[in-house]
Amino acid sequence: MERSKQGSLHGPNEKRDAGESAGKGYGTGGGRTRRPGAPAGDSCGSPASPDVETWREERARSVEDNQISLPGLAAAYTTILRGLGEDPQRQGLLKTPWRAATAMQFFTKGYQEEIIDILNDAIFDEDHDEMVIVKDIDMFSMCEHHLVPIFGRVHIGYLPNKRVLGLSKLARIVEVYSRRLQVQERLTKQIAVAITEALQPAGVGVVIEATHMCMVMRGVQKMNSKTVTSTMLGVFREDPKTRDEFLTLIRS
Amino acid sequence: MESIHASEVKAICKGKMVTKHLNEVNEVCMQKGEFGREDKGHKESEDVVRLSVIAKSYAGILKELGEDVDRQGLLRTPLRAAKAMQFFTKGYRETTDDILNDAIFDENHDEMVIVKNIDMFSLCEHHLVPFFGKVHLAYLPNKRVVGLSKLARIVEIYSRRLQVQERLTKQIATAISEALEPAGVAVVIEAIHMCMVMRGVQKMNSKTVTSVMLGEFQENPKTREEFLILTKN
Repeated sequence: MERSKQGSLHGPNEKRDAGESAGKGYGTGGGRTRRPGAPAGDSCGSPASPDVETWREERARSVEDNQISLPGLAAAYTTILRGLGEDPQRQGLLKTPWRAATAMQFFTKGYQEEIIDILNDAIFDEDHDEMVIVKDIDMFSMCEHHLVPIFGRVHIGYLPNKRVLGLSKLARIVEVYSRRLQVQERLTKQIAVAITEALQPAGVGVVIEATHMCMVMRGVQKMNSKTVTSTMLGVFREDPKTRDEFLTLIRS
Repeated sequence: MESIHASEVKAICKGKMVTKHLNEVNEVCMQKGEFGREDKGHKESEDVVRLSVIAKSYAGILKELGEDVDRQGLLRTPLRAAKAMQFFTKGYRETTDDILNDAIFDENHDEMVIVKNIDMFSLCEHHLVPFFGKVHLAYLPNKRVVGLSKLARIVEIYSRRLQVQERLTKQIATAISEALEPAGVAVVIEAIHMCMVMRGVQKMNSKTVTSVMLGEFQENPKTREEFLILTKN
């Protein structure tokens, strides 16, 4: 995800509106985003393409940042309410700017979380090399084009290479990347890349089936349309039978 | 920056206050097209100004959330989001009289007419997050019937606003009641609130059901029961 033109970490003292680059610095940069033992800035061996930032290079928005930006967000929402012709002073809307601002910060809380923290060292050596699938993971995201919800289900499968991941961590990886302003294609790829970087498995498959409110509530207004995207890495990409097994098992 | 207060443009729909039965609600209807052409042009340019104000606010929101507003995916997002939000609140600019389009017919019919499974999309006025679901409505004509699609259009007018599900249900029932003066009106809405599903308590499968029964539907349990059975999926 192109959050910044530069991939380097920002120090904790850098102000958010420093302005010298297009990127924004946040309070908790530091070295915490690097996986222990991994060389700094190394992405040569990873399957990440240049436009998908590896989670080694992520910076986090902090809780303090949220508190600082809340009044600005609330003021913006007040202006929006007036611009729509509503009366921000009527009882139902009095606290709406604050609620909407807090809600929007929650919907983008993925920016506050780092994969390294999510994984929580829940990677275990296990002599298992058969497919592991976690399916029907509820996913809620925000369309970055219209700021309107996207929701659906994520199905993840991977072939461990003697290392397995705590199952809930797969769902947590989905949460980190989905709670952002997203495009479904990118979200799918980011989840797959994160699992690959964390576990180095023989292969990863991610399928997302989602409903986009921007298509349902407005625009073309197709109520029943769903968008399906998938990313297949490693054996899932190279071996059709493995891919078939995965796709069959998530459908059942 | 313009400061437009909705209370300053409280509308009167052909002499009848639609808020007659909803004293506690400060409803906003935009003034019906009794303006001349020059006023229509003035309204359009006003809309353009409002659009740019809303877009500017969205650009500010993106920055405050920590995003990079210059990246390719977000370049036109403020404008798109502003237009989307205007679409989601287009109900403020429509009135029942506009959409009924005189599609009220004298018909010697006094049995229940039901239109069910009307898809409804609205915005929670507390969190500005969508809620959506289905509306089932029925009325007992008093020799006057309305074009069926007009019932769905009435749902659209009131749902495309910042709403509370209870109020939405009542507004739809009241609008049908005032337009047709039928023997009874019933409206049931079953909706999912993204503010409960995507955030807060995060209950994925919860649905909220509200209903308003007027006239015969309120007084006669059998009539009400017939409606509820016929709309049960």
